[in-house]
Amino acid sequence: MSYAEDLRRVRTREGRSVGSMVLIALGGLFWGYLLLRWLINWEWVPFGTPGEPLVSPETLGLTGGTATAFQSLPQLAEGAYITVLITVLSILLGLVLAVPLSVARVYGRWTKYLSLSFTELIRGTPLIAQLYLLYYGLNLSQFFRGLTQFGPFTVRTPVWAVDLGPLKVQTALWVALIGFTINSAAYQAEYIRSAIESVDPQQLVAARSVGLTQREGILHVVLPQTLRFAIPGWTNELVYLIKYSSLATFITVAELFRRADAVASDTFDYTAMFTVVALVYIGIVITATRLMGYVEDRVALPGLGQTRGRS
Amino acid sequence: MSDPLLRVEDLHKSYGDETVLRGIDFELERGDVEILSGPSGSGKSTLLRCVNRLTEPDSGTIYLDGERVSGAGTDVNELRRQVGMVFQDFNLFLHLTAAENITLGLRRVKGLGKAEARERAMEHLDRVGLADQAGSYPAELSGGQKQRVGIARALAMDPKLMLFDEPTSALDPELVGEVTSVMRELADEGMTMLVVTHEMGFAREAASRMMFLDQGQIVERGPPEQLFQHPEQARTAEFLQRITQLHGGEST
Ligand SMILES: Nc1ncnc2c1ncn2[C@@H]1O[C@H](COP(=O)(O)OP(=O)(O)OP(=O)(O)O)[C@@H](O)[C@H]1O
Ligand SMILES: [Mg+2]
Repeated sequence: MSYAEDLRRVRTREGRSVGSMVLIALGGLFWGYLLLRWLINWEWVPFGTPGEPLVSPETLGLTGGTATAFQSLPQLAEGAYITVLITVLSILLGLVLAVPLSVARVYGRWTKYLSLSFTELIRGTPLIAQLYLLYYGLNLSQFFRGLTQFGPFTVRTPVWAVDLGPLKVQTALWVALIGFTINSAAYQAEYIRSAIESVDPQQLVAARSVGLTQREGILHVVLPQTLRFAIPGWTNELVYLIKYSSLATFITVAELFRRADAVASDTFDYTAMFTVVALVYIGIVITATRLMGYVEDRVALPGLGQTRGRS
Repeated sequence: MSDPLLRVEDLHKSYGDETVLRGIDFELERGDVEILSGPSGSGKSTLLRCVNRLTEPDSGTIYLDGERVSGAGTDVNELRRQVGMVFQDFNLFLHLTAAENITLGLRRVKGLGKAEARERAMEHLDRVGLADQAGSYPAELSGGQKQRVGIARALAMDPKLMLFDEPTSALDPELVGEVTSVMRELADEGMTMLVVTHEMGFAREAASRMMFLDQGQIVERGPPEQLFQHPEQARTAEFLQRITQLHGGEST
């Protein structure tokens, strides 16, 4: 506790440079704008029109590609919401799957092979193929729309899955979430597996020697250390996921990239649109790495889990 | 009860082609402090690990307090609850403070509540002179302090028997004393201990008996002074002489 505070104090004092102040200010503007647009979109604020900028580009004297990009910002913000939603939910649900997968991989007897097969299958096939299989092959989005015929079986979809209330998401989004969760679970399982293997095996022996069962030893001794080792790899996976969530566009999910692509093909302002969308991705990615750095500091303990220098 | 505290019968262990223990038999009475000595690779660590079944013996039987604790139908976790182990490399839980290293077992194994576990942990840290380091992480402790936490962690579980595997071998010479003095107090309080060590000073002063292991067999066993002064086996004499030169026979 005191150690984490010390560490943070040291970091922030060093880190309060002009550069990082500018970055924090930009981050505030970026997320403030996105949040505002989301609220307008959900009609939770008494002003603004979903999809329309608050000020028209003509008023600001913008023309050409710049005007197109400005005009499209509200739509990009909506897309960014979907992108963030996919990323956050998939990485967290993926983590929930990845922990048992990696534990099985290291400690399991026969479950080891199940875990290995799953991981190799997912990592060995293109993500786009996995999404197509779920969306076109299994027709999962039909399932999320209501009653579905799966061969001889009729499945009734739970109401909560059909109607997400104010968030107004497409059913295809569910398919994307399932696809990305499964995919990300496989990659995260690999990161976590190698982190488990970097924990000294004697730690588990010591846990067993005080009478803890193997299960308790893994849960209370190995995993808490593992997750600290896993954070850098996990950050990496998060950064990838933010960007490859754009593949959801191919199963019609209206995420960030698809919005930009749609405007660009309507207006032919490719350069402006893809530059702007790239900046939005960069904004999200930098935020993610900063947050993960913060998490890493928070959970760092003396002698454990610091990958960045402590003077 | 007249049963010995620990009885080991005809213990065998091999790793692949390599036979490490070939028929170990011995008994420890309550309050015995037995030194286990022998050259590197003779099977000392393997024997200790077999006693609390961190390593499963191939054959042989172990009785603790008159009850069979190895073989079919026995609960290995129950055995380990009654036998404390102290490691050469301390093996403290790196993500936990000194106090938490002790409370983990108390809470998960003994089922104590948070406050009670904490209190017990503090008592045991106090006993090894480390009450003021309760909140320190292993990386913030010296080797001697780490090992004292390791001893406290094992003691907190109220074991009937304590196993020590070279508890001072990883320590700088000036830190050895603080650990052996804790062990000596423990011996004085009547704890039954089986200790692998090269600290011959400790052996002479605290041990009731000593066994000499070579190539997986007990070659000789007896009171320390007998083994030091009138060893029956040439191997014992030679080894003890060498060890004494290296690690000093004088008291620490
Ligand atoms: N897990 C294992 N797998 C394979 N061989 C092992 C294992 N543990 C020990 N051995 C072998 O068993 C023999 C005895 O090892 P052990 O660690 O019991 O010796 P020791 O008397 O404690 O030696 P030292 O004084 O070096 O600690 C050694 O030859 C060692 O290589
Ligand atoms: Mg050894």
